[in-house]
Amino acid sequence: MKEGSGEEQNVAPSVYSHVSRPGSHRYKSAKKGLPFNVMLVGESGLGRTTFLNTLCERVVIPPHEAANCEQAHIAEPMQFKHYTVDMEEDGMKIVLNIIDTPGFGDGIDNENCFTRIQEYIEVQYDNVLAEENRIKRNTKFTDTRIHALLYFITPTGHSLRELDVELMRRLGSRINIIPVIGRSDSLTPRELVLFKQRVMNDIAANGIPIFNFPNSDDEDDEESVEENAELRAMLPFAVVGCEEVINEEGRPVRVRSYPWGVVQVDNDEHSDFDRLRYVLLNSHIADLRDRTHNGLYELYRTEKLSGTNIIAGSAAATNAAHVAPAAATAGSPTVQPSMLPQSHPVAA
Amino acid sequence: MSATEASGNPQATAGGIGIANLPNQLHKIVTKKGTNFSLMVVGESGTGKTTFINTLLTTELIEPLDDATRRKKQLDKTVDINIHKAELEEKMFSVKLNVVDTPGFGDYVDNNDCWLPVVDFIENQYEQYLRQEQQPVRKGIVDMRVHACLYFIRPNGHTLKPLDVRAMKAIGARVNLIPVIAKADTLSPTALRQFKKRVMDVIDAQSIRIYQPPVESDDDNSELRNREIISAVPFAIIGSTLEVKTEDGRRVKGRQYPWGVAEVENDQHCDFRKLRSLLIRTHMLDLISTTEESHYDKYRTTQMKTRKFGEPKPKKSENKKFREEEEALRKRFTEKVKLEENRFRQWEQKLIAERDRLNKDLEQEHNLVKQLESEIEAISNAGSPNNKFFRK
Repeated sequence: MKEGSGEEQNVAPSVYSHVSRPGSHRYKSAKKGLPFNVMLVGESGLGRTTFLNTLCERVVIPPHEAANCEQAHIAEPMQFKHYTVDMEEDGMKIVLNIIDTPGFGDGIDNENCFTRIQEYIEVQYDNVLAEENRIKRNTKFTDTRIHALLYFITPTGHSLRELDVELMRRLGSRINIIPVIGRSDSLTPRELVLFKQRVMNDIAANGIPIFNFPNSDDEDDEESVEENAELRAMLPFAVVGCEEVINEEGRPVRVRSYPWGVVQVDNDEHSDFDRLRYVLLNSHIADLRDRTHNGLYELYRTEKLSGTNIIAGSAAATNAAHVAPAAATAGSPTVQPSMLPQSHPVAA
Repeated sequence: MSATEASGNPQATAGGIGIANLPNQLHKIVTKKGTNFSLMVVGESGTGKTTFINTLLTTELIEPLDDATRRKKQLDKTVDINIHKAELEEKMFSVKLNVVDTPGFGDYVDNNDCWLPVVDFIENQYEQYLRQEQQPVRKGIVDMRVHACLYFIRPNGHTLKPLDVRAMKAIGARVNLIPVIAKADTLSPTALRQFKKRVMDVIDAQSIRIYQPPVESDDDNSELRNREIISAVPFAIIGSTLEVKTEDGRRVKGRQYPWGVAEVENDQHCDFRKLRSLLIRTHMLDLISTTEESHYDKYRTTQMKTRKFGEPKPKKSENKKFREEEEALRKRFTEKVKLEENRFRQWEQKLIAERDRLNKDLEQEHNLVKQLESEIEAISNAGSPNNKFFRK
């Protein structure tokens, strides 16, 4: 079930395909495809499902089956649902693993949602840690660590809500968080600019660590630095999900139709969807995987093995720009060197 | 009419005695008195409550909060009740309008019981009115009873959240509840239709009581309009106080997007006009009278059955957060009391110790005195012949 880019042109060609990033093909494209694990978190109705279907250009998650009316007063607990999609982007095969979290934030008291997600993320790290320490290791080990978490923010137009702040604060030091504004077609352009500013101010004011496109030390060419700065200014990405495909001037265009106009999903003036897609599947896929393995996972490992909790001071530590390429120093265990084998990248 | 027929007066059966003129008299009285209308808006922050009120009244009654206030509000984790008062006048008719806002509702991670302050407020207004009615002097009653409550539902496109269900159930039992779909310009027409149907299904299944405007009317036009209004519930609204230019050059109130202009007063785009009609043009008096006649009356009946005339209302168990604060205060108080008691006890000990010491000194002196006395006696006895001392 490969995504043929030649068979059916149901997407307007990406305007960024000429931008090539040095190093984006750093990992050998294995025959099986590069595994990329993404988690989608956000309250229901913000467009997670539609976003995924639009990203993969087909219906991956079927439309939500409405629960019984009589049960509407009872909150469904949050679930973790897995989907796997084979994608091909610029000749590179990717095995996209999606973990959706329906039920997040839907209850009256949502305190336990954070802990459950945090546990889930840490279990994946624990699996890798256990695998590393095995005497006879499994060469076909599948890396289930989550490389990116897309957090969908409600477009209130004001600022972050308590739920948003708490989630990003608690998980930001364990996983790459990319904040995204869901249903962004409810904000006019001016409101959107103000909202983005306010959200970023809130994030900075609360000291929340997010993936803000850090410049890695070994790649300091003008182009990528500029690109990172541009992407940083775009945060959080405003996305709109596609509901239908219409024919405009002979070409199929993905849109949302309203009585007052038609929103084009792939149009950069209408939404940041296209750019986000390029970032996730093309330009920064390597960065995200890198930072997960060399930065966040190493931090978790150090904490777990030394029995200390250095999350509080980790806001500075997880600044991947300084940690990622210096993998050698970060990788060497600081405690109990005799007991453990040298850290060895598990993901191919 | 039967009275005039019985009197047999031919002039009366033709022209009547003038009872038909009563509505005109009433009109004059009401026009002079004006009326009093209280509207409450409930919903999570960011659903467009403030903008809606300002759009409805075409004036900025409620100022949007600035960022610093908003951030502070997020930290105190309570639901506030803010009342904004205004007096509207149109063609010599004045309305004293009260708008009750509820910032903090549903905004936090833990929203348990966040509808309690809202419900308490509604009941307190009934209570105030009840008490005032029972006073010997009943002039100048302040009537803050809520005549309509707009509940803003987030347009998530799927269904009502459990919070919405529980809050609406509690509120709808006490006041005229009108559900409203906020920021409806993010749902396509099909999605909106499905969402409305779904919301109404849940409201029916959960027995949530919402305001039902009367359909029957004297003329067919109004009846048709009433039916249209009822079929549009819950009302999908877009709010905007800004005037923008559409593609065909009209200047309208609306929201300008790169892909078009969503107009507030266009029935194809949203139900704002229907809701405005319901609230003001056609059904305001019905809202007021149903509040007074059925909701207030229900409250009054239940209260009077259990309480004697003039007795104050017994206090219910309060909000969990208040209870916690109360506990904390009580603890501090008892700790302070303990500290003071300890201090007094120590002081007492010191005094006792001092007293004992002085007593001991006294005793020593006493013993000394006794000793000296006995010595004196001994010496005085030495003078007598039976003195053993001089044997040696």
